[in-house]
Amino acid sequence: MASPSALFAVVFLGLVLGLNGALSIPMVAAKRGYSPKLGMSAGFAAGFAGTWLSALLIWQIASDGAGVIGSVVGGWSALAALRRLIPPREPQQNTLPEGSALHRNVQARHLRGGLTRVLFIASVVVALVSLATLVWTIVNKTVGYTATQYAIEPEDLTINGEPTGRGIDALSKNELALVLADGVRVARLRVFVLEEVVNANQDEFADLSPKPIKDVLRGQHYPAGLAELPFNKLDANQVASVLEANLSEAELKTMVMDEIVQPQLVKGWSLWESLTHKEDIEKTMHEDFPKARLEWHSWLNWRFVTSALDPRSPDATGLRPALIGSLMIIVFTILVAFPIGVGAAIYLEEYASDNAFNRLIQTNINNLAGVPSIIYGMLGLAIFVRSLESLTSGNAFGTSTANGRTIASAAFTLALLILPLIIINAQEAIRAVPSSLRQASYGLGATQWQTIWNHVLPYSLPGILTGTILAISRAIGETAPLILVGAATYLTQDPKGLFSNFTALPMIIYRWTTYPQAEFRNAAAAAIVVLLVLLLSLNSIAIVLRNRFSRRLS
Amino acid sequence: MQFTRWMKVLGLALVLTLVIPMATAFAQDGGEVEPLVLPEVDPLSVTGDIAIAGSSTVEPITVAMAARFNDDGFSGNITVAETGTGAGFERFCGEGSTDINNASRPVKDSELENCAAIGRENVLEFRVGTDAITIVVNKENDFVTELKRSDLIKIFTGEVKAWNEVNPEWPAEAIQLYTPGTDSGTFTFFGEAVLGTKGIYKEEEARTDALLAAEPTVSENDNTLVEGVLGSPYAIGYFGFAYYLANQDNLTAIAVANDVSYDEAENIVVVPEEEWTATESPIEYIVPDEETAEAGTYMLSRPLFIYSDASILAEKPQVAAYINYYLTNADEVVTEVGYFPVSTDVLNASKQAWLDAVGVEAAQ
Amino acid sequence: MDILIQQKSSLLAGVRSEELVLRKRFRRGEAFIQGFLFFCGFVTIFTTLAIVFVLGRESLLLITSEYVDGSGNVHTVDVLDFVNTTHWQPHRYELGVAPLVAATTLSSAIAMLVAIPLGLGSAVYLSEYASPRVRNTVKPILEVLAGVPTVVYGFFALQFMTPLLKDMFGMHTVETFNLASAGVVMGIMILPLVASMSEDALSAVPRALREASYGLGSTKLETTIRVVLPASVSGIIAAFIIAISRAIGETMIMAIAAGARPNLTANPFESAWTMTGYIASISGGDLGYDTLDYNSIFVVGLLLFAMTFILNVFSRAVVAHFREVYD
Repeated sequence: MASPSALFAVVFLGLVLGLNGALSIPMVAAKRGYSPKLGMSAGFAAGFAGTWLSALLIWQIASDGAGVIGSVVGGWSALAALRRLIPPREPQQNTLPEGSALHRNVQARHLRGGLTRVLFIASVVVALVSLATLVWTIVNKTVGYTATQYAIEPEDLTINGEPTGRGIDALSKNELALVLADGVRVARLRVFVLEEVVNANQDEFADLSPKPIKDVLRGQHYPAGLAELPFNKLDANQVASVLEANLSEAELKTMVMDEIVQPQLVKGWSLWESLTHKEDIEKTMHEDFPKARLEWHSWLNWRFVTSALDPRSPDATGLRPALIGSLMIIVFTILVAFPIGVGAAIYLEEYASDNAFNRLIQTNINNLAGVPSIIYGMLGLAIFVRSLESLTSGNAFGTSTANGRTIASAAFTLALLILPLIIINAQEAIRAVPSSLRQASYGLGATQWQTIWNHVLPYSLPGILTGTILAISRAIGETAPLILVGAATYLTQDPKGLFSNFTALPMIIYRWTTYPQAEFRNAAAAAIVVLLVLLLSLNSIAIVLRNRFSRRLS
Repeated sequence: MQFTRWMKVLGLALVLTLVIPMATAFAQDGGEVEPLVLPEVDPLSVTGDIAIAGSSTVEPITVAMAARFNDDGFSGNITVAETGTGAGFERFCGEGSTDINNASRPVKDSELENCAAIGRENVLEFRVGTDAITIVVNKENDFVTELKRSDLIKIFTGEVKAWNEVNPEWPAEAIQLYTPGTDSGTFTFFGEAVLGTKGIYKEEEARTDALLAAEPTVSENDNTLVEGVLGSPYAIGYFGFAYYLANQDNLTAIAVANDVSYDEAENIVVVPEEEWTATESPIEYIVPDEETAEAGTYMLSRPLFIYSDASILAEKPQVAAYINYYLTNADEVVTEVGYFPVSTDVLNASKQAWLDAVGVEAAQ
Repeated sequence: MDILIQQKSSLLAGVRSEELVLRKRFRRGEAFIQGFLFFCGFVTIFTTLAIVFVLGRESLLLITSEYVDGSGNVHTVDVLDFVNTTHWQPHRYELGVAPLVAATTLSSAIAMLVAIPLGLGSAVYLSEYASPRVRNTVKPILEVLAGVPTVVYGFFALQFMTPLLKDMFGMHTVETFNLASAGVVMGIMILPLVASMSEDALSAVPRALREASYGLGSTKLETTIRVVLPASVSGIIAAFIIAISRAIGETMIMAIAAGARPNLTANPFESAWTMTGYIASISGGDLGYDTLDYNSIFVVGLLLFAMTFILNVFSRAVVAHFREVYD
């Protein structure tokens, strides 16, 4: 008969009207000499049943929508009818109630009060449950079982094209090196030598690469015959022998695991599924991925936080560039917004006379605080990314990133966004400074600025800092302006400075949320945890700062 | 490979817009053609940054390639923005802010003019792979597995709104359409291949107009399209083959039969099903896969490119090195990502373009 | 020391050579600082002007530009199209803004349906019923809810609310991207704002009013509804208006969960572009300069700015006009 949504609507409306009956009928019942409790039950029943019955009735002749509307009308009529139909048990009085009538009246009003109170509590509970569900949704995705499978089974590792037929543990050090030479690109092996043996920085790669082995591997072991050969001319077996000579067996084994065997994620389960549906998971494992291993996996781990982005696979990706991007944006945002914001607050509170222009500034700030963040993004796009491109791209200063979609643009945009919040908070903090403090300072002959700098600002600093940090937490979580300003989808390197292209934590979360591979949701959830931890730690810094400063002042 | 009357019609439609690249794409592997070998790149000694934008279809290849280049020791920064082919060319030729543009259609003359205006006069085209635009429905959709081109036209232009209007046996549910953004090469190519380039759909404007008339969900982000189709058994959408491959557990790729021809006035004529086998090469439903995409028998297969300019290659050695690396490893990575490699001939042409621009000889 | 003792022997005849000058003196440093502070205040004015200028200029370009399509036809945009037509397809030169506005209105209405009763209920409970201990625990938790970035709510909508709605109303009734899911989650997001602003308004009502009401024999509910709520109605209405303005301007939840197509519909289970969703998804696939797409997001932005601006000004006017002053 009915579509599920219409059914739901009728149940919902029935409950609402039932509640309405339970609230309104007891008063009528009490007035006419009945027990208010009875009235409450009757009211609820009439409202709910009326809604149901009329919906059913109308559905026989008309469509879903009409049924829903009819149910409201029916429920309402049922209540109205009940209100009228209750026969008076006692004659109605026009005077104030007395005796048992008074008792019933008070009882009815308290019933109503109690019921409403439950509703009020319920709304708080719903709010808290929402928060709990939000947290649960995230946690549910951050830990759970994952199935991993090897790209190449350890038995299938090859030496000179011949499978070893043994497990990785059965291989000698020399064999491990040969496996590496066979299974890994030579360029990659050279990177390993530089990273693991020479401990070179990425910046030094270009210098080291063409130098002869004896310079690159100074102080390390290498076959004597290779001494004069340029490093980048080494072939796979030669690089493997260098690795063998300098690294331990365990290190080589890790390398073989990471580069050739490559445990790969094939499926992930949520925490809830992992806890309650273990059998199903094992069955799936058995049927679909017989070669895979089931592991308990936390998506949030140190590797995730510290390694680079990898859009190819959700288990290999990290978020370091995004984290660094977010932090850099925040630092520059503070550098821009804090002085201007506090300056504006001081101007408005300490200097500005009450004239039309200053009132305009004040009203304007209040209005700016309500402008949607995406509008600031458009402002940033048109001004910082496009019009001031030569400045924000760093071209004017000789660095050569070619477009305006940089940390600088993002920071300026977010600075404008949080400026009103900083100003309003700082104004409140400054307003709280007792004017006796100022008068005392003036009385000693201090100038206005000296008064502000030495007395007003120190006194209001805790408040200003708290307000600023709250504004910053808003900025960290903002995504919409960054979409407009143009955060990149993928960066291979961390942003290096003001004029680097960037991506940011919320941006990464947004991207990962829209990826269809379910496992990217897990990565997104883990990134959300990082973002929330960042926000919470900022807030605790705010509290610590506030406490420290207020102790010093008191 | 036989060319029937109908295949010729299709061929003509494609050739009109994609003359040279497509023609070479369909050329059979010579078998004896030796792959050109470019000078070896040492990623360790390459420095500097590379900015890339463009097609979201090519993006997975470029990103995988960038990650691999980095793994092999490149220490510069490669930024890849997913913007759609058109907007990518806007950045490449208009702003001049990118070094490489990912494209899932050949560059247009108007874009070349823009490039020339900012001093990029020798734009280089590198063919890196082949894609088959895949039309997909949800796995839960148990009624559609194959569609005629004439039905596709009806569905994607909004001429029909519900499934039962396509086939009376199908449910009377509204069709939910998911289509890539108008800036994407996928959208442009789909319009050319499905609506054709004749008669009322001669102009690109008319095709765009028709494809948007049904008010589909439009997204530059192919993942959003996948997500949308995954959400309802009555949804249908199209995107690059790699996105289908990544989700093939939950999506069905539709087999397509090209049953459209034209009369003398360039009006669309639908070949009735009973006549399909009457011609020398029968019309049949063809599923996108490696074979049909490379042979070009699947009507929605199309080339994938990256573009750069000779002046950039000269100015920024890291871009030259990256493209060298790209072409050298193209076959492997393209397959890994889920597209189809191009023939040795075509790849050699791309490599030759690189050699000419850089001014060196092939290694062997 | 800031008392100035100045040597002025030669300039002023007949005055003692050492004199205490207590008059306010012009100081370059002070003036410079004041100038800088004034500049800081002016930055905010500049921001507003820049917003209006940028949005206005690009919107004007949309109306005055001539767009040449691939086949050489010239298209212009008629300003009346915005309100006269009901299709939003900038690529087809159809610029009826109604679908976007309708979707924004629908999703905001759903959000308000969630946020207003729950927010007001929570506020009344916290201000009138709760013991200080409960209040001091619950309020910070609600503030945490308010501080969660909106992209997280977007994730929540897509991961939790959409599957929930699909379970409740049927897989096929509810599209993957839909206004209902986005709207409900947006309501949850705005709830703390409504709760905290209303709670402020309620607690600003002096105790004496409540005591007087109890003295007349009213129950707590009657006091709350007949005395406290009317006395704080200006603050509460202001909270509602601010909440609506927040809902209209919210972007990320819409971009993630509400879908991307111009769809003039009253069905909350369909996907549709809201104004913010349109801006976000169009600019996500980066834009060419002076293209129809680029200009069209600024038109939508201008409309969005105007709507939220009017709502904000209106809420302030409400507070100013209807506020009961008890001091």
